Amino acid sequence: MSKWKLPDFITRQVLIALVIGGIAGIGFMLFLIEFDDLTSSEAFCTTCHSMEIAAQAYRQSTHYNPVSGVRASCGDCHVSEGVIAATWDHILGGKDLLTQISGKLFGPDYDDPVVNAMHLPQAAFEARKWFKAKDSATCRRCHVLEAIQGKRADTNAIHLEETDGKSCIDCHINLVHRKVPDEKTFKMDRWQQMVEEEFGLEPGSAQDYLSK
Amino acid sequence: MPSFLKRLLFCILVSIYPELFAAKVSIDPGEWGDPLGEECVSCHEKSSSGLTRQWRKSAHAEAGVNCLDCHKASVDDNDAITHEGQVIATIVSPLDCSRCHTVEYEQQKGSVHSEAVSIIENRLPALAGHVGGDAIVAAGCDQCHGSRVVIRGDGSLDPRSWPNSGIGRINPDGSKGSCSSCHGKHRFSKAQAREPSACVRCHSGPDSPDKAIYEASKHGMQYEAHRDEMALDSDSWVAGKDYVAAPTCVTCHMGAAGKLKANHDVGMRNMWSLNTPVSEKQYLVVFEDGEKMELPASQSPPKRGSEINKTDGSLGKVKAVATPKRRRQAMQLVCLECHSKALTESFMDQFDDVVKLFNEKFGTPAKQIMQALYSEELLTPAPFDEPIEFTYWELWHDEGARARHGASMASANHTWWEGMYLVGRNFYSRFLPQVKEVAGSERADTLIRKYVKSSDHHQWLEQPQRSNPILGYDVGRQADE
Repeated sequence: MSKWKLPDFITRQVLIALVIGGIAGIGFMLFLIEFDDLTSSEAFCTTCHSMEIAAQAYRQSTHYNPVSGVRASCGDCHVSEGVIAATWDHILGGKDLLTQISGKLFGPDYDDPVVNAMHLPQAAFEARKWFKAKDSATCRRCHVLEAIQGKRADTNAIHLEETDGKSCIDCHINLVHRKVPDEKTFKMDRWQQMVEEEFGLEPGSAQDYLSK
Repeated sequence: MPSFLKRLLFCILVSIYPELFAAKVSIDPGEWGDPLGEECVSCHEKSSSGLTRQWRKSAHAEAGVNCLDCHKASVDDNDAITHEGQVIATIVSPLDCSRCHTVEYEQQKGSVHSEAVSIIENRLPALAGHVGGDAIVAAGCDQCHGSRVVIRGDGSLDPRSWPNSGIGRINPDGSKGSCSSCHGKHRFSKAQAREPSACVRCHSGPDSPDKAIYEASKHGMQYEAHRDEMALDSDSWVAGKDYVAAPTCVTCHMGAAGKLKANHDVGMRNMWSLNTPVSEKQYLVVFEDGEKMELPASQSPPKRGSEINKTDGSLGKVKAVATPKRRRQAMQLVCLECHSKALTESFMDQFDDVVKLFNEKFGTPAKQIMQALYSEELLTPAPFDEPIEFTYWELWHDEGARARHGASMASANHTWWEGMYLVGRNFYSRFLPQVKEVAGSERADTLIRKYVKSSDHHQWLEQPQRSNPILGYDVGRQADE
């Protein structure tokens, strides 16, 4: 026996447990990374029809079709970086999944385009709050303030000189999904009227869709 | 200079020379210059430097009026949007301007300018809709008359109704009009608004060819030659006092002259309706709420205090009625700054005679014949699906209006060659032959005898043997005889 000796409490069984636990831990982390990656993809998100509705506007946006070819997928914007944060965001996102499923069973069904459109403003406000709370971290994954050139001569100067205390989302809303006004000046009655006109519904009837 | 010093200096200047600074703004300067509005400038100097630099050159900037003073909105406003944390509106309506320019707002309220949408709204579907199309309404008609601004459910302004600076625009806040129709946005230069070019964007073309008429008149001639003597930048701009070189559109239709005060109701001094199938002298009815309405003088004038229907159909209490004569007197006060009473009155007689001639000789007979053709179902009720409908429309709306406008503003050419000559040519060589095509010669002859040949104006038609050398043929007479 060498001088190097394990403490007495490290028995053979403990050693085996540690090795198995370690491997399982690594496996679990690898699993989470893969899981976060998979569940951040457009293909996964749009398995729910309600998300397919959100994706339709996204596919018309510059974030889907930039000249550079750098395509941002759902998770690039809506899921934080780092495995722990990403997993946490997915746990929070599970709430939407539950709503989707319970909606399917008991209503309102978010796959219904009218319900979806009526619900969209609230969803947009929540998403904007999330971006604001994260200081638009997912935007800054790709966009570097100092490097923003823009098409106009002064875009760079504006981003360098006029952005103190501001986060991307403060100015840049309605980039990807269907346009929703800022919460402060949003008017539900007008939104509802627009939805009713769009889907050819009786005036005042769109509200009922939310309680179906 | 620090801004508080500027403000102080301004207050001192205003108290010493109140007439120097937009004398009509009576509110305290503390009411404007919102400090939050000053924050807009540094970004907009970059993102839209053109308009920011225009504003910098304006009297507004000089007085400390900033972006937010005009563009601020409350969250309940239909068109309110959140922009950089501020609640603002893109459209600055006359009601917004009235926060400071109350007098001008009250004056333009109910004027033919601010009612420019309701004046044509019932005609639009036939003309712009059938003959043109929706794209024409947005980019054509509405650009002068004004759009009914639509805000979509997502908060954006509907491009079918915006951009628009038509003079009768119906704004999201319900107010009517657009100050920027004449006062170019952000710079708001007095001189620019006093130029005839301020009116030309709309007052040109077939039905209101006032640019060409003014330029062809002696007034336009003098203006061109002595533009540098017009004092267009002057704070006080009274014809006969601050300038005498020439009148512009503004001078006669809304400007101050002698004792006559300036007024933003552009139609107030117009006695006649000139853009109608048959001209009528008109009362100007002023309601208690400041709204106004034109009423033909053929009707009995409403009594003060009585309630009558306004242009939009709602009831209004009559505050005052200006007679056609009174309106003409107001206009003549401008003339009298340069012309004698006799010349002025004789000029007006010449003008009135042209209007009466159009009415009696062409306007009324054409209208009566058209009504007969419609009521006898010789024409379909739909306008513009038969050639004679275009003929009739152009007779009064284009050529007839041009003749009448020409006489009102002393362009001989527009009165005759561009105006009444074309009316006559149209009437004799197109309209009457088309009546025969539509009604058949027997019925047409009856109608023409009843409405046309019964009038002295058309007696020459009954004398086909009376010759004249003008066209090169004359029996037994030389051309110079």
